Amino acid sequence: MFQLTDIPRLLPEILLLVLALLVLGSDILERWGRSPSAQLERVKSSASLTAIGLGMVLAVALLQSGYIYQLPETAPVNFFTNIIRNLQSGGPSNEGAIAGVFVVDHLTMIARLLIIGAALLTSLLCLDIRPDAHPGEFYALIIFATLGMCLMVGANELLLAYLAIELTSIPLYLLAGYFRNNARSAEAGLKYFLFGAISSAILLYGMSMAFGAALNGVSGAANMNDLTRFNRIGAFTSSSGSLITMAMLFIIAGMGYKLAVVPFHGWSPDVYEGAPAPVTAFISTASKAAGFILLFRLLTETFPAMAGAPVLGDDAGGWTAVLAVLALLTVVIGNLAALPQNNARRLLAYSSIAHAGFVLLGMLAWAAAQPFDREQGLIALLYYLIIYSLTNLGAFGVLALIGQQVGGEDFAHLRGLSRRNLPLALLFTVCILSLAGIPPLGGFFAKFYIFMAGWQSGATWLVIIAVVMTIVSLYYYLRLLKVMFIEPTTDLSPVTMPRGIAAALTIAVVGVLVLGIFPNVILSVLEKV
Amino acid sequence: MGLITLPADVPWLSLIWLSMLVPAIIIAVIPDRYPDLMRWVGTGFALLSLILSLLVFLAYDPGRGGFQFIEQLDWIPQLGISYLLGVDGINLPMLLLNGIVIFTGALMSWNIEERTKEYWVWLLLLTTGVYGVFSALDLFLFFVFYELAVLPMYLLIGIWGSTRKEYGAMKLTLFLMAGSALVIIGMIGLYFGSGLRTFNMLVLAEQGFISGNLQWLLFPALFVGFGVLAGMFPFHTWSPTGHVAAPTAVSMLHAGVLMKLGAYGCLRAAMWLMPVGAREWLPIIVVLTVFNVVYGASIAMVQRDAKFIIGYSSVSHMGLVVMALAAGTQIALLGAVLQMFAHGIMTALFFAVVGRMIYDRTHTRQLPELGGLGRVMPFAAAMFILGGLSSMGMPGLAGFWAEFNIFIGVWERYPLVAVIAALSIPITGAYILRAVWSVFYDEVKNPEFLHLPRLTWQEYTGALVLALVLVGLGLYPAWMTELIDTGVRPLAARLSEVAVALR
Repeated sequence: MFQLTDIPRLLPEILLLVLALLVLGSDILERWGRSPSAQLERVKSSASLTAIGLGMVLAVALLQSGYIYQLPETAPVNFFTNIIRNLQSGGPSNEGAIAGVFVVDHLTMIARLLIIGAALLTSLLCLDIRPDAHPGEFYALIIFATLGMCLMVGANELLLAYLAIELTSIPLYLLAGYFRNNARSAEAGLKYFLFGAISSAILLYGMSMAFGAALNGVSGAANMNDLTRFNRIGAFTSSSGSLITMAMLFIIAGMGYKLAVVPFHGWSPDVYEGAPAPVTAFISTASKAAGFILLFRLLTETFPAMAGAPVLGDDAGGWTAVLAVLALLTVVIGNLAALPQNNARRLLAYSSIAHAGFVLLGMLAWAAAQPFDREQGLIALLYYLIIYSLTNLGAFGVLALIGQQVGGEDFAHLRGLSRRNLPLALLFTVCILSLAGIPPLGGFFAKFYIFMAGWQSGATWLVIIAVVMTIVSLYYYLRLLKVMFIEPTTDLSPVTMPRGIAAALTIAVVGVLVLGIFPNVILSVLEKV
Repeated sequence: MGLITLPADVPWLSLIWLSMLVPAIIIAVIPDRYPDLMRWVGTGFALLSLILSLLVFLAYDPGRGGFQFIEQLDWIPQLGISYLLGVDGINLPMLLLNGIVIFTGALMSWNIEERTKEYWVWLLLLTTGVYGVFSALDLFLFFVFYELAVLPMYLLIGIWGSTRKEYGAMKLTLFLMAGSALVIIGMIGLYFGSGLRTFNMLVLAEQGFISGNLQWLLFPALFVGFGVLAGMFPFHTWSPTGHVAAPTAVSMLHAGVLMKLGAYGCLRAAMWLMPVGAREWLPIIVVLTVFNVVYGASIAMVQRDAKFIIGYSSVSHMGLVVMALAAGTQIALLGAVLQMFAHGIMTALFFAVVGRMIYDRTHTRQLPELGGLGRVMPFAAAMFILGGLSSMGMPGLAGFWAEFNIFIGVWERYPLVAVIAALSIPITGAYILRAVWSVFYDEVKNPEFLHLPRLTWQEYTGALVLALVLVGLGLYPAWMTELIDTGVRPLAARLSEVAVALR
């Protein structure tokens, strides 16, 4: 049942909804002039409203989470402590799910913070790389997608999960094709939509089969209620039924499309290359993170008995083995395909495919015998997602800037960047090296941690292959460095860095550095899951 | 008692690596128009780090032995990762070596005019990593510093290098990173396999019970992983290419210190933590090192590029180090560590002469094009000959004591190997003399060389420091051997204990 006291627990989502409507409203209700300066004013107002609004939502969510400041029980009662106490009463807890469908536990809260933070950085990038028409819609769509992702990470029931996925995907389709006069962008939008629609269908099919399997297994009319909830399906299905196995495979395939896991990755390089750069940054980080967390919940709660083991040999089986195969393909093909790329955005697209493979390693930890190791797997997964999001937002942010100022993202456009704008080149270098996993940056510890988690799950063979593939990946990351630092250039005109992008990049890079050198700053929070 | 006493509450080892990180940051904020200021800051702090490591070297108490100057802080306690530094008789000489080489290397870098700031920042970051590796006693920390030392190399070679620099840089980086991939696998295996869930090497060595099978699996991962950096055959091909492509100071650091870092890793991480694995694998590795020693020397014989000669001679000499490690007796280990130190100084001197004094003036290193330079720069000739004599193992110079100990030690375990490896001694003599003849004594082939710019005071100072150490260690090796002996004694005892237990 939904209760009035559940409202604070949904506060971030409610605030996002209000913000989206505000952005839309400010654009529609205000009478904007037709002159170019008035149009520019219009874009700027939407953009700043979005950025400021997301910043405030993030601040409220942070306060609510209690990760930075937890109000002590003995605090004096006054106006401010009352507000904080009320906010934190809706913070992460082990209470039951809201109306049985939406859990607000630490996992949800951390994922929310990650997603809203990623949206904030994206909106900062958008301050300077603006849509040419209908700015209100552009920014509102970003916020709606953010809302969808927040619902995704807390969803505890098939229907809500599906609706949240669609609420995320549909705005992203539109955003990818937003520059409709640009053939690349239009292609990206259409491609994303078509692949997305098919994957939704597959996912829905899988979900209906899971429901059917649960219906077959249930006994007694009293148990018939709420059969769409993840854990109820898990409770009423056996681990060996063919229907439930099919359901599992379909759900993994459907989510695999959303996560761009090989062999379901075909759309992603084109979409990443064609979509507006900040949107690419957003798709490759927040939407992937939300997808992974939903997949984690789906698999561990709906198919708890089918975890199996990702080992080599006769004992292999279950969804961890399926994921292990996917991870193997993803890591190998993603990295190898990135080698010959000559467009930096496409290269990063393949690199993010490869990174999805590393994240899957963290999920395998669920096969480990001891609960401690499973927890470590989840922590490693979250840490990886956080670092990866920061890094990729930074990297795509740099490319967005290059695309706007130099006119493209081919290697030729990056040539000699270190002499045209050294700080920008250094920021990009930190992002690239973090993606490559070089200490002391965050990417290194993330990879290391996830390798440890994967090792404990029994997938030693996969860890060894993944380690080898990181060496392969180093080659193409070094190529980017080489283009920026070593190759000579004739064009030495300086590249300027607008303030919004500079702020976003600095936040991302400082995050990568600090979290890389002092991981326990965040590990202590992540351990709460 | 050490020769001097230092206050105990100062984190000396942290100060050493910080004395390289801090100037990197200072130089990064110096405006571009003051290149000389950057050079002074860089060299000054390099001298500071040398003085600090010398102080620690003098204050170490060989009578007490073991690990001293230990600093420990929790870093990521959830995973058993700590910030743990400490020195014993093995890594202390390496710290001092790094101090000497970076100080002289900094002196040899004063002629870098292009993108001066970036050069110094990367150079100092590289040294930060090296100092860190030589003092870290936590595997994770060790690895972090190790990678920090490898990556700046890519840019240093790629931007300021010569002769196929982009190829050399990429090859070097990929080889070393492939080595570090093996190391990662070995590390994680040790972490879980020991059952202790810690990366603390002190704990792993004392309490870790790692089953024989696991040691058999993991030992090659760690030994070969670090062995790549030490130039172990057949993974040595990056090293001559990289040395030739690198700018002078980087060649000096690379051949002088970084390759030692690999050998040190083999000794510290692989052999110390997994004596049983060492027992099983070392007889195989010793065969590979024979190729290193003899084949490396023979290839050096036929090179025309002076830097390639030194590059392959490094492969050959580092082969001796790994061979001594593989023999594993106390005398051999003593010789190995001494050789690391002696070869580091000697090869730094070589590269300083060939890279800085000769190449930067004549713009060629091809033996047939050079000649008669002894008349133009007698100082360079003297230094090169000094290094060459040490390389050949002339008594009275550092190289002699090192090689003497190595051959005795290897003879104890593998007499045949020692005999074959001794073949390298005449070959080394031949290629060194050939190089000396054609660079310094042959007739002058290019008259322009008679009017080369004079040597600068930085070059004189740097080369003299190196030469003094070389002669000092040759005349009175005890100031180093006594210390090294305290470090390798427990290790050799550990290896022979295992041998007895297995029998």
